[in-house]
This record gives sequence, C-alpha cells and structure tokens, in this order.
Amino acid sequence: MAVNNKRPNGSFPEGDEFDRFVRRRQRVGKTWHGLFFAATLVGIIALAALLIDVVDDTFGYVAIQSNIPETTLVMEYNKVRMLNAPRTLASEDDQLLAQNIGARPTAIGFFGYRFYQKNAESLTLLSVDGVQPDEQTVESGEYLLARPLFVYTSDAIIAEKNQVAAFLFYYLNNVNQQIRDIGYFPVSEDTLTQAQDAWAEATGLTASTVENLYPVTGDVQAVGSSTVAPITQQMADEFARTEGQNVTLTVNSIGTDAGIRAFCLDREGDILDASRAMGAVDTDACAAKGRQPLEFHIANDGIPVVVSAENDFLTAVTTDQLKQIFTTADNWSDVDPSWPDRPILHFIPSGDSGTLDFFVANVFGTTLEEQDPADLIAMLSANISSGRLRALEADIPLANRTPEDLVALIRAEVVKPQGVGSWTLFESIFKRQEIAAEVAAIPGAELKFYSWLNWNFLTSPQSTDPYKAGINVAIWGSLWITIIAFLFAVPIGVGAAIYLQEYSTGKSRFDQIVETNINNLAGVPSIIYGMLGLAVFVRILAPITSGAIFGYGDPSTTNGRTILSGGLTLGVLILPLVIINAREAIRAVPQALREASFGLGATRWQTIWNHVLPNAVPGILTGVILAVSRAFGETAPLIVVGVATFIVVQPDSPFSKFTSMTAQIYQWTSRPQAEFRHLAAAGIIALLVLLLALNATAIILRNRYARREY
Amino acid sequence: MTSNGSNGTNGAFAIEAKGLNIFYGDFHAVRDVDLKVQPRKITALIGPSGCGKSTVLRSFNRMNDLITIARTDGVVNFHGKNLYDADVDPVEVRRRIGMVFQKPNPFPKSIYDNIAWGAKINGYKGNMDDLVEDALRSAALWDEVKDKLNNSGYSLSGGQQQRLCIARTIAVKPDIILMDEPCSALDPIATLRIEELMRELVQQYTIIIVTHNMQQAARVSDYTAFFTVTPDRTGYLEEFGEGH
Repeated sequence: MAVNNKRPNGSFPEGDEFDRFVRRRQRVGKTWHGLFFAATLVGIIALAALLIDVVDDTFGYVAIQSNIPETTLVMEYNKVRMLNAPRTLASEDDQLLAQNIGARPTAIGFFGYRFYQKNAESLTLLSVDGVQPDEQTVESGEYLLARPLFVYTSDAIIAEKNQVAAFLFYYLNNVNQQIRDIGYFPVSEDTLTQAQDAWAEATGLTASTVENLYPVTGDVQAVGSSTVAPITQQMADEFARTEGQNVTLTVNSIGTDAGIRAFCLDREGDILDASRAMGAVDTDACAAKGRQPLEFHIANDGIPVVVSAENDFLTAVTTDQLKQIFTTADNWSDVDPSWPDRPILHFIPSGDSGTLDFFVANVFGTTLEEQDPADLIAMLSANISSGRLRALEADIPLANRTPEDLVALIRAEVVKPQGVGSWTLFESIFKRQEIAAEVAAIPGAELKFYSWLNWNFLTSPQSTDPYKAGINVAIWGSLWITIIAFLFAVPIGVGAAIYLQEYSTGKSRFDQIVETNINNLAGVPSIIYGMLGLAVFVRILAPITSGAIFGYGDPSTTNGRTILSGGLTLGVLILPLVIINAREAIRAVPQALREASFGLGATRWQTIWNHVLPNAVPGILTGVILAVSRAFGETAPLIVVGVATFIVVQPDSPFSKFTSMTAQIYQWTSRPQAEFRHLAAAGIIALLVLLLALNATAIILRNRYARREY
Repeated sequence: MTSNGSNGTNGAFAIEAKGLNIFYGDFHAVRDVDLKVQPRKITALIGPSGCGKSTVLRSFNRMNDLITIARTDGVVNFHGKNLYDADVDPVEVRRRIGMVFQKPNPFPKSIYDNIAWGAKINGYKGNMDDLVEDALRSAALWDEVKDKLNNSGYSLSGGQQQRLCIARTIAVKPDIILMDEPCSALDPIATLRIEELMRELVQQYTIIIVTHNMQQAARVSDYTAFFTVTPDRTGYLEEFGEGH
C-alpha cells in the first residue's frame, strides 16, 4: 500500500480513503483468484486436448481391400457347386428352362418371373419358407428371393437435362403398367407416389406443368444393373413411341457396383440402374463428386422357384432344402424321405446371369459365417497351396477345427483383407464425402468405421500388420515389471523410511549422507536409472537377472535384458519416491501417540508396529500409488535396459524378454505408417484405463483401510 | 533393576533425584535438582513457565530419551537403583513409572483396546476383561463407558479421554504415576473430577504431578516442589516442602 502522506501517523484510513483501501485489497485478491482460475483452466484444456487428440486417433474410418472379397469367394464357390451339380442344365434362355421344367415331374428350377407368367399353366410355384411370391411379399421382402430395383439420377442432371426429367416423369407414371410384361413385380402405389414426389421436388414441376419440359431432344444414358436395364429400355421405347419425342436411350449394362462407380466417380450416365439401394458410403462418394443421388424405387424383383405342374409331392420348400436340392442332394428322397426316390433334375440360369447370383446370394448367404464347416474346408483347400494346406492340417486337422477357426483361417489365408487407408475421427466426421469418394475409386475397397481399440487389439501380440497388431504382450510385460518394481521398492522403501524416521538420530555421518542423497535421488532423470540398471542388473548381475543360475530362462537370448532387470531398475527408480512419501506419512503420525505408547512401557518396535505404521498406512499407500503409477508409465529407463522391440510371446517368468506398454506405444509412434499412429493412440487409452483401474483399486483399498481405523 | 514391588532399598522414598542436571544440546535446562518423593503421596512440581519442571518429571521415567538432543547427568534412584545406569532398560522403567500427558492422547482404538493394549504388550496373564473393568473403575470411568467399550477412544469428551489415559496407565500396575499438567486442556468440572480421582489413586500409587496452577497444587498435593529459573533460563529447585 502506498502511504498516504496526508494522513497523520497513528491513524487508520477512514471514509473515502477507507473504501478505496478496501477495494484495492479486494482487487488484489480478485487478481490472484483470476490467476489461479486461469491456471486451472489451462490445465484442464491441456488435458482435454490430449484426450481429444488420443480419441481422434483411436477411432475413424479405415479402407479395407481384400485379395478376394469375401462375398465373391462365397458366391463363386456356391455358384460353381450349383452349376456342377449332377443333372443340371444351365441356360441363358429362360423360356427353355420353363419348358423343360414343365415337361418333367422331377425337375426343379428358377428364372425370371416373366417366364413363369408365360408358362404358368405347366408350372407350380413353390413357396419358400412358407411365403408365396406375390406383390406384397416381394415388396416387403418377406419372400426370400426378392429385392427392390432402383433408378438413380441427381438433382443437377435433372435440372440440366430436360430430356432426363421428362423421361423419368414418364418412367414413374407408366412403369407399373409395363412391369408385369417385363417380368418383375410392381411396387405399391405408395412407393411410386413417393418416387413421384421426389421427382416433383427435384424439378419443381407437377404433373400439370410437366409440359414445360417439352419438346425434348437428345440422349439419355443409363449405366448399371443388367437386371434393371430391360425396364429402363422398355420405358424408353414406350416413351419414344407414345410421346413421340426424339430421345435416344443408350444402356450400358455393367452391373450395379460398377455402375455406381461409373455414375458417381467418373460422372458417367444420366441414369443409374441399380438392383440394390446405395449405401451411405456410396451416397457420400457421389455427393463428393457433385452428384447428390436422387433415388426412385421403381420395381421389385422376385425369383420364382418352380416345379412342373405334374409334380405331385412339392408345393413348399425351405431355405435349407433349397441348398441341398441344388447342390449335394442326388435324389429327392435325400432331402426328405417322404419324397420319391428319384433323381433331381436342375434347370437354372447360366453363370453369367444376375438371376443366378441373386439366388445364390439369398439362399447361401454372402458371408463366411453362413457357410457349413465342410464348405469352409472346401473353400480353404481350393484357394491355398497344397504345402500350406499340409502345414495347417499338421497343426490341427481342418476337420477338427471349429467353424469360427475356419472362418478366421479363410479370412487370413484367402480373403487377406488389407488396410489401404485410415482416417482420424475428425476427418471421418467432417470429410466423410471426400473419404467415401477416395475409397470408392479403389476397386474392391470397403470403407468401414473402425475402433483401433478393440478386443483383438487387447488380446493380440505385436504384429507388422497394424490390423492384427495388439498390445497384449506389452500389457503383461508392464504388469510384470510393475509388480517386480513394487515388490522391490515398497518393502525396502518403507523399511528405509521407518529407519530414517524412527531410528536414525540424524547425527551420524551415515545418516546424514543417506538423508541428503535420498532427497536428491528423487530428482535424478530417469534415464540415469536406466544406465544404472544397464550397468548393474543387465551386465554385472546378468547370471541372476537372466535366470541362468536358477536354471531358468535362456541366457543366450535374454542377456540379462529380462523382466527382472527392468522391474528392479524401475524399483530403484521409485525407491526414493516411496521413501520420501512414507517418511512424510510416518512423520505425520502425532508424537503424542508415540509418547503414549512409550509411556506404557512399549518398546520402540511395538510402538512402530502397533501405532506408527497403522496410522501411517494411508499416507504410505498414497506414496506407493504415486510411485507405482510412475513405474507403470516409465519408458526411458526400460529402453536403456533393453526392451525387446518385437516379441509376440507373453512373458511367463521374471527371466523372460519383455516389452512394456509405454515402450510399445513409443515404438508405434516412430513407425512411418499412419495406421501405427492409430495403434499408439489406442495403446495410450489402454494404458490410461489400466493405470486408472490400478489406482482406483489402490485408492479404494486405502480408503477402506483408513475407514476401519478409529 | 529389580521388579519386586514397592519395597525398595532406598527406604522411605519412592523415587529420589540427586544432583540431576538436564541439557538440551548446549542448553542447560535443569540444574542440580535434589528431590525425594514420598511413596503414596502426591508431590506437585510447580513453578513458572520454562523452569524445567516438566523436564524433571520426564526424566523420572526416561521420557527424555525420546528427545535425541536431551542429556541427563546425575542420579535418579528408584528401588535403590539409578535409572540412568547403563544396564537399565528404559522400557522397563516406563512400565514401572507410568505417565499421563498434558493433552489427552488415547490410541485411535476402541476404549477396551486402549486399556488392554498396554497390559498385553507387558505380558499380562489373566482375565483381560476384568483388568479393563478394574482399571476403568479405578479411573472412575467405568459407569460412563461400560456400554460402549468398543467405541473409539476419541468418541469420549476431553475429561473422559484423560481419565481413559489414567486408566490405561493404571492397567499396567505401575509404582508411580507421573502427570504432566493433566488438567491444562480440561474445563473446571473435568479438572475437579481428575483431582478427586488423584486423591483416590494416591492410596495405592505414588503420584508426581506438574502443574502451573497454584490452587491445584494446594488442593491436591501432599508435598510441593517449587522450581524457578535463573536469568540464563536454567531451571532449579527453589524450595521443597510438605503441605500446601
């Protein structure tokens, strides 16, 4: 405070001066308050930033490209089985199939719905899993062999090309009159109305103002599904015929997936024919390229499974029966003993047909999990070398493996998914479309949201493949090391603290040297302890730390660079910490308690054991928790002592080679591939969670102990 | 040192200090104290602050040993043996000469354990429940705590805590009880109860009490030793006499 010269000596401030004086003092207080708050805020922000950064790297999109996509592998396998089944006629000509089935009482087959309609009098339509194909069951998807058909365009195309807008208007208003002739099921009025509304919204026109688009000329290009192509073609023909407009349609039937890529990425075509709905990833990829897709559900496909009208035993089949009928079963009686003991005749569309693909996908499934073990073994055997097969058989015979094992094996040996890109959480959220477009450009690549912190990560050892690498071995390494450090440092540290606090007079030279050094040791950089550990535990005590003199371990590989060396090094590192904290805790025990104990004739040890230690335990434990956390999170000394850079075997004794979570994370961060950065982040989360769990356990134990006291 | 009860060879005196000098490091705290304490009497040590009366009291059961810089010269005879002889174990001294401290300092244990612990570590054989009850009765605390022996010693009031400390001391059956201003932290009513208790206890025990309360000394003591302090702050025994 500045001295107010006007005020006489021996007086206190009064009146205005008093107010100012008080305000000034309050201001000083407020300033400090603000500073402390700011400090707290900075701390919280720093922590939050760290956490956000780690979480950002832990989750996000990855792009996976497979050697053979799993779907293709499964579909091709089942298609070949169907085509190679005995007494199978595969033909492009649906009419031929229909006639052949109609003529043979023991025949079965399937083809486009249109040809069932044409030959309905000679055929019997089977219900599948109790569902007959009709407009309702096909639209709702209740019928197994049903799928919706779509055409897509985009806002921009409709706005730009009036011939496309006019054609689609005609398409949506007339498709239901034509669709049965083309051989598909019509969609419900509601669905069609929705499509028409979508059109109206995109064009800003209504049925009465559609004339504004006319006259139209020019080309309309369609790409995509060969299933939808006939509908689009037919509608274009009708459009040209009835409206008399000079519009030419070119159809490029390249399949739905290729169509989506062409339409979205290469910006080909005005209309996309699709036999499946676009996924979110497809939509994003399209939008990223300026083609916000506009979806019209125009028809439903339902594949009829039929037998001859002369067939007197079959009106319904189940999915399982279909699988057998078209592959393994020879005679009808193989499938169901009540059916005649006569050979099954198959009439199916040929291998190039979308109808066969669709049948296979729906009946046999597209994932490995849906396949039988025998089929899994066959798929595996067909796709790997005989040498590799023998090696696998020698390991565990394939027949004895569980289906889960077989699926995993096929994924690893045949499908071989590989990461071809990875993104952080923020990128995944804010740049979804760009990422989708980028991945859509990679053939066979699949985009999926991935958590790098997953069960596999926690249970797998290190690997060069970031998608297989895990932190399991490092977790065990860290736990072993920490436990050894704990076992070394806590008894010695608490013992030393008791000596220094309760026995030492602080007078002898020895006591003084110890006293000074302990406090200084706590401040020594941890790398120095690493050097100490290397010199003492790894080099000098190698016979002990490698386990050689106990007959354990493998001295030739471990060289004393074992869990024991690492643990002891960290034990020495945290020893001063334990001592200092334990001393504080012991010092905090009231002197009156000691006097009371001594006053009753207790010895020094009785006093320490019965009164000092029990009252110091919570404080000692606090120090131990801090020290153990420090050991758990320490990296540098372990690297100096010699963590193994790449081990895949869990440590099984103190004489094993080891790695620690921190060392593992450090190693991952120094790898050039981005994927390992994600792994490091996942490792950090695992480390933090484990550390928090350890601390929480210790704190709960401590509090329980403290509460037990009076 | 022998442990044959109160029949010491130094005859009439329970404890006797001869030429007692106590130093804290270089500081000469107490000078040339000669003091003879009568058995089964209350001897009060009084004097101004810093005159060394507590120091003298603590030297009677070697409590000063706990202070690393404290040093004691001279002789304290107890049962004909100098307590400061090299072959005397301070642990045994404190078992024979108990102490009650200025501030009540029960153990952070149950009331029962507060009493039983001292007996246990000193190898008491017999019914512990009876011993606890006897000690608490002797300290006039039994009626107040008999239903809550498992409660913490800290749950008692200050005066009760101090009586618990006295009971705890009695439980190991000492010859002499040293009391270092036992009432200084208590209110007047609790103080009176402690004083009454002392008058009862003196029928069985020799009590030496430090107090700076002249009235208290007058009320309770049979003998009074008056300490005073030299200008260089060394305490010495000014006067020792019977009565008040």
